[in-house]
Amino acid sequence: MKILDSKAGALTNFEVLDLLRSRGAGTDPTRVIASVSPSEFKVFDYLENSAACNQTREIIQKFVDVCKKFDLAKAEILNIINTRPSSAVEVYQIIEDCDIRMEEDTIHELVETINQILPSRQSTEETAEENNEIEEETAEENNEMTS
Amino acid sequence: MFFLSEIEHTLRLPPYLLNRPLNEAIKGELDSTFLDKVIEKLGLCITVYDIQSIEGGFIFPGDGASTYTVMFRLVMFRPYEGEIISARLQESTKDGLRLSLGFFDDIYVPVPLLASPVHSEPDPRLKDSVTWIWEYDGQNYPIDGADEIRFRVHNVSYPPIPLEQEEEASDKKAVKPFAPMVITGSLDGDGLGPVSWWV
Repeated sequence: MKILDSKAGALTNFEVLDLLRSRGAGTDPTRVIASVSPSEFKVFDYLENSAACNQTREIIQKFVDVCKKFDLAKAEILNIINTRPSSAVEVYQIIEDCDIRMEEDTIHELVETINQILPSRQSTEETAEENNEIEEETAEENNEMTS
Repeated sequence: MFFLSEIEHTLRLPPYLLNRPLNEAIKGELDSTFLDKVIEKLGLCITVYDIQSIEGGFIFPGDGASTYTVMFRLVMFRPYEGEIISARLQESTKDGLRLSLGFFDDIYVPVPLLASPVHSEPDPRLKDSVTWIWEYDGQNYPIDGADEIRFRVHNVSYPPIPLEQEEEASDKKAVKPFAPMVITGSLDGDGLGPVSWWV
């Protein structure tokens, strides 16, 4: 075995989750039929319970574009996308030499940006409720049209 | 947390797989060889990302199997120093904490790297287990398994495979299985520790 390139690219948690979903990990409740092994399922469970479960490619791309003005290292942006800190205290840990590189206003601006662009884990329940309401409305419209 | 690594490997395809399509057979062999295994300096292999090329197919004299040279990329779990990760508490002893990610259990937070100042209390429910309690501003904050614990990666080490099993004939304590990859974490800092402390 020869290692050609040990760092061929960094992956966000979302990309790994997407990869496992594309193999069928999310849609299979029995966990036997999909071509995903038990150890891969453990990773899938961990990622589904993390901040990555609600992200999409567009959200991440938008976040990376907006973060250019904060002058963050690539590893720091990756860490933020993976853990989704929601307060200044959490951001302080992720960014190296935070108090030297960024002032308090910039940190608050960054936290605002994170809260706006990256979805939190609870938002699936809200969107599920919205979807249910929309489905009920369309069902009512259909009933009216048929009757 | 996750990186892609490009590997070239000489794979021997056993004859009983010859009736399968080549891609499937090679993927199956790669899975059984690399999945859930630790490669030194690269980390824990999570899954095969893609297969870039398959060459060869030679059959060596005296062997019934064909040998392929495969180039492929693996998704490796390899946290870097200074990364912040959320994990669950698995056990809490007098030496410190042990955290788990579900797919990876060997994350240790030794006592010097716990949030300071901290004191311990023996846990009445489990033998050998202590609860660590952080003292801040006069308040006591225990570290219990209720919610996720954020820690900073202090060090990732790959201990060499032990040559001899330690014999514990007189001691009934179970010998811990060998851990090829050990992550040392630190809880010393604002924003680290159980999430409920900071939210």
